[in-house]
Amino acid sequence: MTRTLLPLVYGSAAFVFIYLPVAALVLFSFQDGTLPVPPFEGPSLRWYADVLADDDLTAALLNSLGVALLSASVAVTLGFTAAYGLARHRLPGTALLRALLIAPLTVSYLIVGLGLLIVLQRIGIGLSLWTAGIGHVVINLPLCFAIIYASMGAQNVNAERAARDLGAREAQVVLLVTVPMLAPAILAAFFLSITLSWDEFIIAFLLTRFDVTLPVEIWSMLRSGLSPRLNAIGSLVFLVSVTAVILLELVVFRRRS
Amino acid sequence: MTAPVTLERIGHSFGSLRALDDITLDIAAGEYITLLGPSGCGKTTLLSVLGGFLTPDAGRVLIGGEDMTRVPAVRRPTATTFQDYALFPHMTLRDNVAFGLRMAGVGRRDRRARADQKLDMVGLLAQADAHPHALSGGQRQRVALARALAVEPDVLLLDEPLGALDLKLRRAMQDELKAIQREVGTTFVHVTHDQEEALAIADRIVVMNAGRIEDAGAPARIYRQPASLFAAEFMGETNRFSGRGTGGRIETPFGAVDRPPPAEGPLTLCLRPEAVRPREAAAQGSLAIGPSRVRDAAFFGTHCRAHLTPDAAPDLLLVAHLPAVDPPAPGAVLDLAAETADLAAFAATG
Repeated sequence: MTRTLLPLVYGSAAFVFIYLPVAALVLFSFQDGTLPVPPFEGPSLRWYADVLADDDLTAALLNSLGVALLSASVAVTLGFTAAYGLARHRLPGTALLRALLIAPLTVSYLIVGLGLLIVLQRIGIGLSLWTAGIGHVVINLPLCFAIIYASMGAQNVNAERAARDLGAREAQVVLLVTVPMLAPAILAAFFLSITLSWDEFIIAFLLTRFDVTLPVEIWSMLRSGLSPRLNAIGSLVFLVSVTAVILLELVVFRRRS
Repeated sequence: MTAPVTLERIGHSFGSLRALDDITLDIAAGEYITLLGPSGCGKTTLLSVLGGFLTPDAGRVLIGGEDMTRVPAVRRPTATTFQDYALFPHMTLRDNVAFGLRMAGVGRRDRRARADQKLDMVGLLAQADAHPHALSGGQRQRVALARALAVEPDVLLLDEPLGALDLKLRRAMQDELKAIQREVGTTFVHVTHDQEEALAIADRIVVMNAGRIEDAGAPARIYRQPASLFAAEFMGETNRFSGRGTGGRIETPFGAVDRPPPAEGPLTLCLRPEAVRPREAAAQGSLAIGPSRVRDAAFFGTHCRAHLTPDAAPDLLLVAHLPAVDPPAPGAVLDLAAETADLAAFAATG
């Protein structure tokens, strides 16, 4: 009895621990009152209506989506070209280049953000969504490079040679053979970059000014106290992240099996 | 389409390793050549040089009379099938086979028809819309072959095409390869380390070792009268013993053979197990080995394999493939002889 019960209890406890905050957040986003605390009154969609009617919030949401999509695309493109170059060509100092590309993973977002802030101010570039996007490329590029580089095996080398042998030019080799064969890794890197950029606060906070991303907007709202509005926004943010993860699961891992 | 190939004094090194050393070889248009040798002998490197994947340090490659030494793979009239097939996993078989035609700018309808024709040739037209992962190893090899032949190369290069297949399938595929080569008439250069495969399939075998050509010639000649001791041993099991070249004759432990020796002085002699036969079955003028005592014998289906000690040379243990009747009992004495045409002689070294 205890043999089956104990793992069950433990497993349930672990999942409750992980998901209780999220569940509470989502539950109280449907609160009918003005405070997201028990007892639960509702359900009501008034806070969602409130959020979606708020121009600042919807603007921030769209800003976040734009920054996430664009910075993820740039990070994946740069990561792929770096991985392809280092995996297929013998360069002097390959190991060093590889280490330099991956090293930013170990630097905290705060340091990356501060560093970029100092550099941008030195060279006189104003803060905007673009600079936040640059920051997100900086933090996602090492990840994209590592994921794609790790999946560039010997199997692909011969397929690329075969394509060349059959008359494909270099651009055709990359676009028709290398990229499709690496599609699972490239898509995984892309979706991961999107979710990381979507949730990222510190760099976006440091590198934006008038137009801000959603986490920054939420933070400024938090200063005026708790409200079920925040729960509603949080639930929407969570929904977008979950969608990205589900897409990743469907598009990438389903193809493999 | 087909073209002759000439290799002139090809040399190549990887660091301190001499991978190819002064390789000179003429291949006629429409010939089926196998490059045979142990791993690391340079045969795959030579294939890379032919395919344009590697520019040699020295020498020239001529295909159809044109100097191709520095022409990259993409512009050579060659096509390669790779050891791991290197099919494009994200494309259907038809798209795989049509890939080269697509690169050459052939229209969709035309390249589809030509790809289907090649798939039909290798018996896979019914699976044209399948993806490579749904196929067995032998089928993948067929697709790789169809894909390479679809661009109608002058020279087809095959890197261990049957290496990943099991023995039975390998034997069936080698017959098929030969038949396809007859049909298309393209020059085939086939790399293998399996001497049986080479013997069965090639018009001419090129035996390689340590970056050099040891021997090149028709399969029967290479098997029976190899040009070097290495070739003799690589082509199959052989009995090796000492002899002497004196006065224009070869002296063996069993008497002299009236044939000019390769050198005066000590010789190494090689005799295939199946060249040793019972005296009554041997032709006139064969070399008499004389009475020999059976140490052991086993039945192998196509022959009986026996170890024997000849009375004329008691230190020697001969391996013989005798006719497939009841194996002789240990201790029995057989009167043996060997065809002199099957005796290979080399100047002894060291």
